[in-house]
Amino acid sequence: MQNLIEIYIQEVTRRLPEKNRSDIALELRSTIEDMLPDEYKEEDVKAVLEKLGNPVALAGGYRDRPMHLIGPRYYDLYISLLKMILPIAAVVSIISMVASYFIQYNGDENIVNIIVALTTKGIITLLEVGVQVFFWLTIVFAVIERTDKSKETDPLTNSMTKWTAEDLKAVTYIPKKKAISKSEVFGSFIWIAIWVSFYFNADHLLGIYENNGSGLEFVQPVFHQDVLIGYWPIVVAVIVLEVALAFYKYVKGQWTNRMAILNLIVEAAATIVLLILFIDPKLFQTEFFNYMANIFSYSSTQLQFSFISITFVVVLVFAVISIIDGFRKARIK
Amino acid sequence: MSNLLLSLTTELRRGTLTLAVLSQLQTPQYGYSLVQLLEESGINIDQSTLYPLLRRLEKQELVTSSWDTSESRPRKYYVLSDYGQEIYTELRKEWLKSSKELYDLLKGEEDDAKSD
Repeated sequence: MQNLIEIYIQEVTRRLPEKNRSDIALELRSTIEDMLPDEYKEEDVKAVLEKLGNPVALAGGYRDRPMHLIGPRYYDLYISLLKMILPIAAVVSIISMVASYFIQYNGDENIVNIIVALTTKGIITLLEVGVQVFFWLTIVFAVIERTDKSKETDPLTNSMTKWTAEDLKAVTYIPKKKAISKSEVFGSFIWIAIWVSFYFNADHLLGIYENNGSGLEFVQPVFHQDVLIGYWPIVVAVIVLEVALAFYKYVKGQWTNRMAILNLIVEAAATIVLLILFIDPKLFQTEFFNYMANIFSYSSTQLQFSFISITFVVVLVFAVISIIDGFRKARIK
Repeated sequence: MSNLLLSLTTELRRGTLTLAVLSQLQTPQYGYSLVQLLEESGINIDQSTLYPLLRRLEKQELVTSSWDTSESRPRKYYVLSDYGQEIYTELRKEWLKSSKELYDLLKGEEDDAKSD
């Protein structure tokens, strides 16, 4: 019986800071004894302890530290930082994961295996990075929550000060129609990562695959890799431009005239570079067109001409659509 | 009583609890005697709220405490400090004023309902 009381007191005090324990234990014991009749049985003890309630709740009352990780003052800032950092970390880690994969690449794998390997690695990388970002950001905010001694309860603004109407000026008003979504930016980063990987490994990836019974076998590349790589300075220039545009889109979050002009420059540069590459007769492997010519019963040169012109026209059409779309969205008021 | 009504009632009472406790600490009281005093006046207080509240009031220097070990069982007595007395007077004034305002507000509504 006495034991129940002791256990109850222990259940409360072990959740409290060391320095308060003995005093609170003493007071609790005297209170419990006050509440009990002179002659008491176990039922009486149980009734009294139940009246005092769950020891966790009682301990929570005694403690003045918050019983939450992140309170209303920091929650909004925490969530918006999380939303900002997570996608950036995801993109950076995916791009570096793909890059390191191809640096170690020894040329043995076919495209299906590569896609499977990259997808698996990608999912694992995303999970790891997500957990890391979430963990560290949460830890930092939980510490801030516990060290902030100011009695302010107002949610913090991004400038870490008290909210005034002046803060509204820092927020750009973005109409829905001209907004650039985060997923759109994310999509462009992924697209850049994909085509860059293909550019540097075209001799293993782009070409004709044959089913030899035990899976797909890579038989004929489209390009001469050495000629293709020879164009690296202008290709890297396009990569830099596209990455810059994607970052600019991420920061601005909406179409502006300046962005539409930058988009025009990037699209034009990419299209011109593609044209420079495609009009180089040494770029394509003649065996590729011979192979295709056999299948479609056209002459090899005919096929090469239509292949190049169709690809180029498709790329050109998409570039023009993107440019016009950019200016149209930039003009929306 | 529905859960919502119950939680609204608890919320309504929460603020008044400090005032009720301060009012009874003009003379020194220990935990359980305070519970009994409040219950005599019909104020039902959750004990798991009361004891931590007393500690908090002490930390805020509104009450002072002392252990009395002269009797068979040691007891911790709480009493209003000078500062606590001052705050209590102000808080009391504030409560009487706002409860009168609220009373008038609710009463006006009742009159409206009658005249309809």
